[in-house]
Amino acid sequence: MIESFVTHTLNGLYYGFILFMIASGLTIIFGVLGVLNLAHGELYALGAFVTFTIVGYLTGLVASPTGPVSALVFAVVVLLGSLAAAAVLLPVGAIVESVFVRPIYERAEVYQLLLTYALLLIFIDVMKFGWGATPVDPGVYSTLNQVPTTELVGFGYPSYNVIVMVVGLAVFLWLVWFFDRSKTGRIVRATAINRDMATAIGVSTDRTFTLVFAMGAFFAGFGGAMVSIGPGTAFLEMGLDPLVLSFVVIVIGGLGSLKGAFVGALLVGVISRWAIWQYPPVELAAPFAVMLAILLVKPEGLFGTWGEIE
Amino acid sequence: MDRRTVMKAVGGTALAVALAGCSDLLQEEDDPIEDAEVPDEPIEAGLQTFLEGAPAVLGVQAQYGAETAVRRINDNGGIADRQVELEVVEEGEEALENYQQFVDDGMDVTFGPISSGNHEAMVPEINDQGVINVATDGTVTTLYEEDHPPEDNQYSFRFQNHDVMEALAAAIEAVELLGEDEIDTYAGINPGYAFGFDEQEIFAAGIEQLTGAELVYEGFPDLGTDDMSTHIEEVNSEEPDVLFSSCWGGDATLLLEQGHGAGMFDNVELLVGPVLYGSANDLSEDLTDGPIRAGSRNFYWDQPDTERWSPGDELVAEVQDEYGVLPTAHFMSGYGAVTAWATAAEKAVRLLGRWPDQEELAEVLTNHGFFTPAGYHTIGPDHQGYSNAHFGELAWSGEYDAAVIEDVNVYAAKNVSPPQGQTSLDWIESW
Repeated sequence: MIESFVTHTLNGLYYGFILFMIASGLTIIFGVLGVLNLAHGELYALGAFVTFTIVGYLTGLVASPTGPVSALVFAVVVLLGSLAAAAVLLPVGAIVESVFVRPIYERAEVYQLLLTYALLLIFIDVMKFGWGATPVDPGVYSTLNQVPTTELVGFGYPSYNVIVMVVGLAVFLWLVWFFDRSKTGRIVRATAINRDMATAIGVSTDRTFTLVFAMGAFFAGFGGAMVSIGPGTAFLEMGLDPLVLSFVVIVIGGLGSLKGAFVGALLVGVISRWAIWQYPPVELAAPFAVMLAILLVKPEGLFGTWGEIE
Repeated sequence: MDRRTVMKAVGGTALAVALAGCSDLLQEEDDPIEDAEVPDEPIEAGLQTFLEGAPAVLGVQAQYGAETAVRRINDNGGIADRQVELEVVEEGEEALENYQQFVDDGMDVTFGPISSGNHEAMVPEINDQGVINVATDGTVTTLYEEDHPPEDNQYSFRFQNHDVMEALAAAIEAVELLGEDEIDTYAGINPGYAFGFDEQEIFAAGIEQLTGAELVYEGFPDLGTDDMSTHIEEVNSEEPDVLFSSCWGGDATLLLEQGHGAGMFDNVELLVGPVLYGSANDLSEDLTDGPIRAGSRNFYWDQPDTERWSPGDELVAEVQDEYGVLPTAHFMSGYGAVTAWATAAEKAVRLLGRWPDQEELAEVLTNHGFFTPAGYHTIGPDHQGYSNAHFGELAWSGEYDAAVIEDVNVYAAKNVSPPQGQTSLDWIESW
């Protein structure tokens, strides 16, 4: 029973970290730009497809692992490939923001929804053109599981899940550092709080917004990369469910709150896994039930930030 | 075997022989069908199937199958000299609208869908419109047994075996392998929609009747889910003797991937999956490890052994040459659906001396028997297709660089489906 509880909790944390990585980009873009990006799920899917190509190429250059050390080297190669794949999303995000999104900042929000929905459809066709209509898989999951992790402390658990949790935590800590400590991050926050004042003191809001959108795309792509190297596959509709769950996560955490997205993602991950464990039919409803319960108590979300990154 | 014997065996027409994969046995001879009154224009046919996304793992195979059958029909002079033009559209969630559009476009026949939910939605409309549809899949057993029995259904047919045939074959396969006395517990992880519920219910009824086993866990992950770890952990915790899973496509590979990652195959004696082999072209070698018996519905490409069965051998060669994949049961879903209708149409022309209308063709299609490279098939009075069901040990072939099944067991339709007029669950309970 206790071992099951631990495993289900770890499964929840693993899923929560996946959700956080996807939702972080969405909440960054919304928190600073005020844009609800419906194409976010497709940026995530694009990251997964690009990962298939880059990681597939890179792992073809290295020998199959024969022991723990070579498995670790393999995992590093896969993670570097995932970062490279996500980096492809940086210029994609920058172009989307500067060419398509920028002209409609001053327009009603419905234009943002229409535009980003159009981008969603376009991205799906771009992916279909690039990688075909059927699922693709870089096929590295089982090899990543050869990296010794929990076995070292006498507990059997998939190493890929552990890697995801470690990487997800690193992403969160880096984002906190970036927005709290770095000069660029503080400029981004200042721009989010008061655009006019930021402009008055010489900040280029255009460049800031482009940077933020590109960052959001990067983290969406990185979330897709982490899923792509896992047990699932990259396929055309894969962006839909994560988009919906990302909305759930950022609503729970408080729209625009980074820490809220982190806590919200872990709550959704863990509580939904516990719920399925106790009563499997609630699988679909569990994340929304969590959202409902939290909004009843705190209608503005756990951290309640609106319009700025915290 | 001379030409007359071959013709008689497969239904008496050149087209039937060609679709059975035996065209090399034919010789030129006058055919009385040439005197029949048939329109000059080609036959227009519509196929809806999943062409993109996760379900395309199955849907594209059905497309390949239907295209292959049409190609063979046209290469052999068409149906009563009429060539077939096949239009293929994405099934998506618009199956009903697709069918209506096909009818509006004047299609002579429609094929598909893959999805059980889509098929369920289509049947009333098919009977209203009166244009025959031969479903490639959409195999929920209750559809023709309870929801649309023969007296309420004239134009809707289904080629692929329905769920009871593969779910029961899975139960019998488990008993054959482990022994009746060795199965005390079982669990199920099945997709959370009509098909998965249907398969689990029938498997549960079958395995409990055969062994008295107790259900220790059943989970229904969302179709297309990205995480099955909770269900797998429950299986690990309960350690059932048999795990049953009708997961297909990406769900099947996800189950195998996460199952291997979480050590699930150390905690079950056997996994039986009636549609696991549908993912054959997406499985990697490491995923075929473990005590896994994979089903391949009404067609496994190497059964009978292609070294002894030239129609099968030629089909595999053609599919690999044309599409670069191994044909799975869903390939046969498309191939068989087209073949069922085409051979029935030609039979009707012979009977009538002219092209049949939809009502006449539906009459001929009911109780129709025909061959494909998978063997002999019948369409029953209930409009359901009946063929052998296949199960085997999941393994890896270096020769094909793909998953295969070995030690294949073949279950005759009459042993895994109820007599006409009886529902599957009533039949199982009567054992």
